[in-house]
Amino acid sequence: MASVQVLSVVAPVVPGSYKAENVASSSRISPPHPSGHRTLLPVGPAYLSQLRLALHHNNEFSSFDLHLAAERERLAALHGNDAVGEDDLGVGDEEETPELLALDPKEWKKQDNYAVLGLSHLRYKATAEQIKIAHRKKVLKHHPDKKAGTTSTANSLYLDGVNTNDDAFFKCIQKAHEVLTNPEKRRQYDSVDHAFLEAEEELPTASEIKNKKLDFFKTLGPVFEMYSRFSKVQPVPGLGQNDATKQEVEAFYDFWYNFDSWRSFEWLDKEVNEGSDSRDDKRYTEKKNKAERARRKKEDIAKVRGLVDMALSLDPRIKRIKEEEKAAREAKKKGNTPGAPAKKTKQQEEEEKKKLEEEAKKKEEEEAAARAEAKKAKAAAANAAKKARRQQRAAEEAAA
Amino acid sequence: MAPRKQNGASTNVSTRQATPAPEEVLPKEINSLPPVIGINFGNSYASIGAFTKESVVECIANEDGERQIACAISFHNEELYIGNQAKAQLVKNAANTITGFRNLLGKKFSSLPKEVTENTTSCQPIPFPGQPETIGYAVSVLASAPSHVVSPNPSVPPSAAPSNAPTPRPSSPSQAFETRYLTVREVTAIFLRSLVKSAEDFLGKTVEGIVVTVPATFTEEAKDELEGAAKDIGVRVLQLLDEAGAAAGVTTSEAWTAAGAGTDEEQAAQLALLPDRTQLIVDLGSSSLSLHLLSIRQGLAYVLAHSSTSSVGSQAIDDKLIAFFATDFTKKTKVALSVSAPSSGKPLPNQSVHDARAEAKLRLAIEHTKRTLSASPGAATCSVESLKEGVDFNGSINRLRFDMIAAPVYAAVAAEVTKLLTSGEVTLDAHQIDEIVYVGGSTALPGLDQRLLVECGFREDIATPFARGVVVGGGVGDPTTVLARGCAVQAGCLWALVGSASKEDAELLESFSRHPETKAAKALDVRATTRTIGVVFPGEVDGADEDSIEKQVGGLFVPLILHETALPARRAVSLDVEVAEGSGAKVVAEVWEVEEGVKVEKIVIPRDEEDAEDEDEEDEEDIVKKPTLVKKSLLGVVEFAPKLAIKTAKGKGAASSRTQGKTYTRVQVVGVVGVDGKVDVDVEEVGAGADVQGAKGAVHVPAL
Repeated sequence: MASVQVLSVVAPVVPGSYKAENVASSSRISPPHPSGHRTLLPVGPAYLSQLRLALHHNNEFSSFDLHLAAERERLAALHGNDAVGEDDLGVGDEEETPELLALDPKEWKKQDNYAVLGLSHLRYKATAEQIKIAHRKKVLKHHPDKKAGTTSTANSLYLDGVNTNDDAFFKCIQKAHEVLTNPEKRRQYDSVDHAFLEAEEELPTASEIKNKKLDFFKTLGPVFEMYSRFSKVQPVPGLGQNDATKQEVEAFYDFWYNFDSWRSFEWLDKEVNEGSDSRDDKRYTEKKNKAERARRKKEDIAKVRGLVDMALSLDPRIKRIKEEEKAAREAKKKGNTPGAPAKKTKQQEEEEKKKLEEEAKKKEEEEAAARAEAKKAKAAAANAAKKARRQQRAAEEAAA
Repeated sequence: MAPRKQNGASTNVSTRQATPAPEEVLPKEINSLPPVIGINFGNSYASIGAFTKESVVECIANEDGERQIACAISFHNEELYIGNQAKAQLVKNAANTITGFRNLLGKKFSSLPKEVTENTTSCQPIPFPGQPETIGYAVSVLASAPSHVVSPNPSVPPSAAPSNAPTPRPSSPSQAFETRYLTVREVTAIFLRSLVKSAEDFLGKTVEGIVVTVPATFTEEAKDELEGAAKDIGVRVLQLLDEAGAAAGVTTSEAWTAAGAGTDEEQAAQLALLPDRTQLIVDLGSSSLSLHLLSIRQGLAYVLAHSSTSSVGSQAIDDKLIAFFATDFTKKTKVALSVSAPSSGKPLPNQSVHDARAEAKLRLAIEHTKRTLSASPGAATCSVESLKEGVDFNGSINRLRFDMIAAPVYAAVAAEVTKLLTSGEVTLDAHQIDEIVYVGGSTALPGLDQRLLVECGFREDIATPFARGVVVGGGVGDPTTVLARGCAVQAGCLWALVGSASKEDAELLESFSRHPETKAAKALDVRATTRTIGVVFPGEVDGADEDSIEKQVGGLFVPLILHETALPARRAVSLDVEVAEGSGAKVVAEVWEVEEGVKVEKIVIPRDEEDAEDEDEEDEEDIVKKPTLVKKSLLGVVEFAPKLAIKTAKGKGAASSRTQGKTYTRVQVVGVVGVDGKVDVDVEEVGAGADVQGAKGAVHVPAL
């Protein structure tokens, strides 16, 4: 499509008395200058277009438009690849609340590192690239050099309550960046992430779910999803829906009973007083911290276990599956086919049990015998070695 | 960046492959700028255009900081000077300094006029030894020197000796001056090589292709020679572009049409040039004047008429200025100084060597004076140390005096413009020209612009680089850099094709070479419309004068496809149309073929009452020109009831009282004229964000 030239003129109202003139059916434009009358100056993109039009598109605009559209798409595709570098990867500008800006860098252990970098919508999901970009953005905004010009007004007495310690917030930013870019530190911080701790406080209890008749899946689904971040094994099976198959349900509970978490609690350690010379003091604190970590870890494991127990007890699917199995058994019973093997009597069962027990006993005995023999062999080998050494020494003495 | 190589030994007129190219060790910058340049190769000055940023083309400076590089090479002992340094050699070393070689390309010695072969200001062209028709130059160089001087026998490759031999002392008595012979092509190659080298240093990468200007007067042999010279230095010539084309390359680019510098948005909208316009290019070189009248239709340009003459040139201005300063010098110092008589260019019989030298010094100094005059409205100085007999000269000239000195040249240019417009080659009135473009350093003088506007009867609102304020401060309209930038723009266009793998693009590129296939060559010759096709929206236009175009056609006239537009052509415009309220509302668009003209009226300006006493004085007459429009034939009428009309708000918030509370609809008109003369005009409502399909109509006129 040709570019549209927008005119700033306004056409007038058609007068009521207007009557269109008759158009002579023979009207044509006056004959153009013959070919060769004018010679185009071979210059510029417009000439290239004209040349393409004439050479490759038979002077048809429709075909030429198609070509242009294809060309544009091709270019857009090329530029699309380039543009990725400038994308901020969804790290938008989050609002900085006065509380956030008033953070004390000394209390860095308590600060919400994601909020400081404006990543609180991403939290543990933020990629390294996103953290890098977010940090850069914040630094551009809060660098002390940047702020130097504006502090004069901020410090004025008239502006009460305006944050003046931007340097402090900049330190918070640097600290947050340091924590989040170091994988080990980030893991520790993520383990006790503020938002997670808050959410953990509000875990639904079994009684709540029962009494308030909350939807099982809607209530517990997000909870499991929340915890799944700590799993060393990814991906983590979700709670799923009501129509999940038996295998799916079993896999879910199997996974969660064997939940392997990387969560740790070093972050909450009490500071070891570095200044103190007392080695005992240090050791004592370290010991205490270690114990505390272990306790917390145990608690955490217990919590997850409790959660899974609760889910299992409340899961409507378990009930359903049991019923289904029962139904299937009964159906089997009723439709007893003649070719099917007869049920074992109690006696037979007992016999079998005995047989198994005997086998196990036998095995044990054999193993014990093997162990004893191995011991003997070992002792013999040791003796032989001793003997050999003695002989060798004797021979050496003789030679001397 | 490598330091500039001035020593002749390092500038080699052999292909890039023959010498280990120094640019290969340069760190290659990774940027997407096209590795191509445009070269304006004038007879006296050359300039280089290159892409400095994405889609920004600038005239770049060489190592000496010169954007206008004198076309001169000079040999001095074993050194080789190129450009403005070589020009400075004209004072003491004129016999070894070659200038004005471009115009001799492709010419036969016997055809040279006497002034050229007998000039004393620089090295004289002579018949090349053994080839009486080839023009050559004889220069004396120190024996061990320039290996770039290719041996007369072309089969012997240039020696690479200097690298092995110890550097000879310049004053070594064992060395004798010997005479070397150079052909014009070799001189051109040396010069082009230095330009390309400058550009490579600037760009930080190897130049892969060049577009060079050639004057319209260049013969095929001259083009062959020029291409050959470029081939000798291993540079690919993408296109040889004539000067009008190079100028059009810039004037059709967006940077040109946008606006002048330092204007706000509102002004910019006013100053912005229309995509369809008629343009006059005034190219005042040092020894020739060429005029081109172009029809520019949305970036597509062709020449309507052109003329060139070698009788007018800025050389005459120089001569007059030198004479002025010489008189001034004599007046101030009582030292007699006689310079060449203005405009003759021939040495006076009684002119001494000292006089000639003084003249050469003055000739160098006034370059600076002229530039100062162009750039600033105040007076400009001209200072020469030890002009003659050890006496310094310090003179100044203001713009008014300069304009008086240059007036005959200005008048000659104005006369040429008038001659072109009345030559019958084209039926155009000066009034119908929309824009003037100046090319060449001398046209940067504002006096010329003023003179032309007064004498030739252009429209008052004609766009000139001066009126748009784009001449000084490196603006887009700077006459000295226009051609180089135009070439660079074109080189950029072609480079996009060079990189393309498609067969169609290769075919396009092929059509830019010197001898394209017949099919592509035919594409240059186009059919063009003779009359303007436009749309009339009938009705009473507010504030229309008695003889305005609106009254003449009985409504608003929107030109769609102008006369002199290459076919096939397509234009699309959109505008607001006021419609009546209620069910009777309708939009009517008549498609007309019209003829544009100019009505010339002579009106007598009544004298002021105070002057009434001088009765013998006649009444002053003034010529007033007004555009006219005659409807020739109605091609069709589109009539429909608007569906997307919007009523503007009444009250204080509305834009203006005139547009308050009225109903408008936006209409888009697309016109297509095919090669065979068939016309299709689609008129359609385009509403913003409406789900309703706008009303539309079409006019179709079959082919002739």
